[in-house]
This record gives sequence, structure tokens and C-alpha cells, in this order.
Amino acid sequence: MAGISTCLPPKTVANDTETPRFGGDEVRKVVSMAGVKQRRVAEPDVTSADLCFEAATHLLKRLDWAPETITALIFVTQTPDYLMPSTSCVVHKWLGLSDACAAFDMGLGCSGYPYGLYLAASMLKAGGQGRILLLHGETPSHYASADDPAATLLFSDAGSATALEVGVDHGAFCMHTDGSGHGDLIIRGGGFRERFPEKARDLSVKMDSAAIFAFTISRMPELVKETLGLAQCGIEDVDAFVLSQSNRFTMRHLAKKCGLPADRVPMTIEDVGNCGGPSIPVTITHRLADQPNGDGFSPRRLMLLGYGVGLSWASALVNLDAQCHLMHHDYRSQAKPQ
Amino acid sequence: MSIGAENMTIKSISTQQAIALLAEAFMVPTESVSLNTRREDLPGWDSMGALVLIAELDERFGVLLSAEESRKLHSIGDAVHFMERNGIVSR
Repeated sequence: MAGISTCLPPKTVANDTETPRFGGDEVRKVVSMAGVKQRRVAEPDVTSADLCFEAATHLLKRLDWAPETITALIFVTQTPDYLMPSTSCVVHKWLGLSDACAAFDMGLGCSGYPYGLYLAASMLKAGGQGRILLLHGETPSHYASADDPAATLLFSDAGSATALEVGVDHGAFCMHTDGSGHGDLIIRGGGFRERFPEKARDLSVKMDSAAIFAFTISRMPELVKETLGLAQCGIEDVDAFVLSQSNRFTMRHLAKKCGLPADRVPMTIEDVGNCGGPSIPVTITHRLADQPNGDGFSPRRLMLLGYGVGLSWASALVNLDAQCHLMHHDYRSQAKPQ
Repeated sequence: MSIGAENMTIKSISTQQAIALLAEAFMVPTESVSLNTRREDLPGWDSMGALVLIAELDERFGVLLSAEESRKLHSIGDAVHFMERNGIVSR
């Protein structure tokens, strides 16, 4: 991994300002459990593609990678700009990538980052690829229903770009699925199963919190164990366990159940919110960089753990060396080529 | 380092201790609940209360209360019976 860049909307919404809408007790209860004090929320006309585009432009500039050297663009999202074409094609145009560059989307949410890394690493290992740009962005705040405090007070938005090139470390990856839980976290309307739903509410997310929690605590300890086994190492050999930032209650419970030391489970849920899968790179740039602006990085071995919608869960054990650039910028509505 | 509670031996608790555990999870005084207390009469037994109960049973006893089973619990008595069936509460 040559670098990781993240982009958050500059707008910060403090959850306590939502008190009049949902009632003080409800807000205090959600905040105390989920741990979200404030959220980074994109304006209605800002999409995952916009956020990822800015993350990518900063990263390419820092790495001094010319657009024509990128051989593949993978866009991981469940909040695409359009049902068609793929968001990757839109961003391909904006970044000025060449027609020799493969570009495609992958529709995964909370587990998307380790899945994307696995796919990129496999493509690099298979040959024919030089440099891959993995973009992972989500705008979950846009699909939270205004009448749903649990979702509204939890979700935020983010974009990320990860640059990968051929190297010696291919990482260790584990991926799993339980499709029987696909209805536990779902937006029922708007796709081709129910293109124009009768109830507008079906265009927003429905979340069975208890089902997601039970799934997480029953599956994730085994995933941690499996990943350590695959990499032939122990908990003590991993410098940080970066979880998708679901909510503080779940993460704390999970860390305890898995025997992960709290000081090696970084969190951004408190001041960023749950931005889905991109919360993994956001937590890396915000908590593991040496400098507050994301600059500098000490070599580290990280276990990245994504879990949620699908139901899908995955891990990546990766080594980041000191040459890996970590950077973060807030969104500035940068001009794009038309 | 071992992970998870798969080897955890359950130390049973009494029915009264189970009621106290449930009262704490749903944030009400123990003396205000009994086996007959209905779920709808406990504001704290909402979606978050259900989550706290799942976490408590997992952490303290290594027993997983699934969301489906959780939805079938309509009273404190139902929850205590679940705990009995899973060896948490001694009969």
C-alpha cells in the first residue's frame, strides 16, 4: 500500500442539537450507547464519488502518480451516483485516467474495505496490473429516515482512496457471508425488485439493531481467530485492530470478547459517526498517523475488520511501512473536468 | 491467547438474581418487576434494551440470545424461562 487518503464533509452536526426533534431522553440514550457525539454529514448534493474524487486527487498528487500509470480503479460503495453506469466510470473521467485502465464497482458496505484490498491484491498478484486505485466511499446519512433516531444520530459520510502497487506483502484475508440476514439491514425500495415503492419510507434504511449485534458478536471472534491463524501470529503481534466503526457499544463488547487490548482498538465513532466501510481508512488516517493532518506513519501491522450489511464480514491483516502516505482533507467541492 | 467464551462454564444464578439482571438491563428498580411484568410496560425494553440484554447474556454467561428469540420474549417471565433453558437460571 503506497498511501491512504480520506475525505470528510466539513459540516459537523452535534447530536445534542437534535434533541428538540427526537426528545432529549431518546437522544441521550442513543448517544450514550452508540457513542456518537458529532457526525460529519455531506450536503444533499455531495455523493460518495465527490468525496472519493477529492481523496484520490490529493493522494495522486502526494504520490506523484500520473493518471496514465493507474491500471485499475475499483470503487466500493452502496451509495452510487447512479443505478447505471458504474460510479467508477464517472470518477475515471474526473481523474483523467487512461482507456487502458480497468474500472468497476463493487457493491459492499461495512465489509467493503478488506474485500476491496483483497481484490486489488489479487489483481496485482495475478499480473498485468501496475498501480491500482481503490476508492471506498459511502453517504449513509442520506439514506437515514428523518423519523428514525437510531439511524439519524448514528450515520455520517466519508470517502477514501487507497493506492496499491506491486510489492512483497500480499496480506492475509478472510471473507464470509450469511445471506439469510440480508433483510436485517436493507433499503427495500429504489432497486429493480421494487423500483417505485408505495411507501416512501422504503427508500430509507431499515435496521434490525439486535440482529446485527447478535450477528457481530457471534461471528467476529471466530474471524479474528481465523485471521491470526492464517497469518500465523497472535494478538500480541498486531499493532492495531481497526474495526468498521459501527457503534461504541458493539465495538467495546467485541474488543472485550475477542481479548483485544482497548488501546489497540482505535475509534473515530465519537467525533465522526458511522460512515460505514470507509470508517476503516478514516480511523487509520485519524488515529494512526503521527501528525494530526495525517502525515507520517510508523511501520505497523494492522488487522482491519469489516462487518455488517449483507450480512458480510471480512478481515485483512496488512503491514504498512513507513513509506505509506497517510493523509486527510476535508471536502472543498473541488472543480471537476466536464 | 484464547478468544471468545466457547469454553466458559456457566455458573447458574437464581430466579431472583435473573430478575435483578433484567431490571438492570432495562433500567428499572428490581422491586418494580416480577415474572408477570410485560415487555410493553417496560419503556427500557426497547431496541436498545434488547441489545443490552443480548450483550449481558453473552458477556456473563457466553449464551447467545438471537434477535429472533429476543422478539419472542414478551415478559420478564419469558426472559427468565429462556435463561432456564440455557442453563443460566437453575430450575
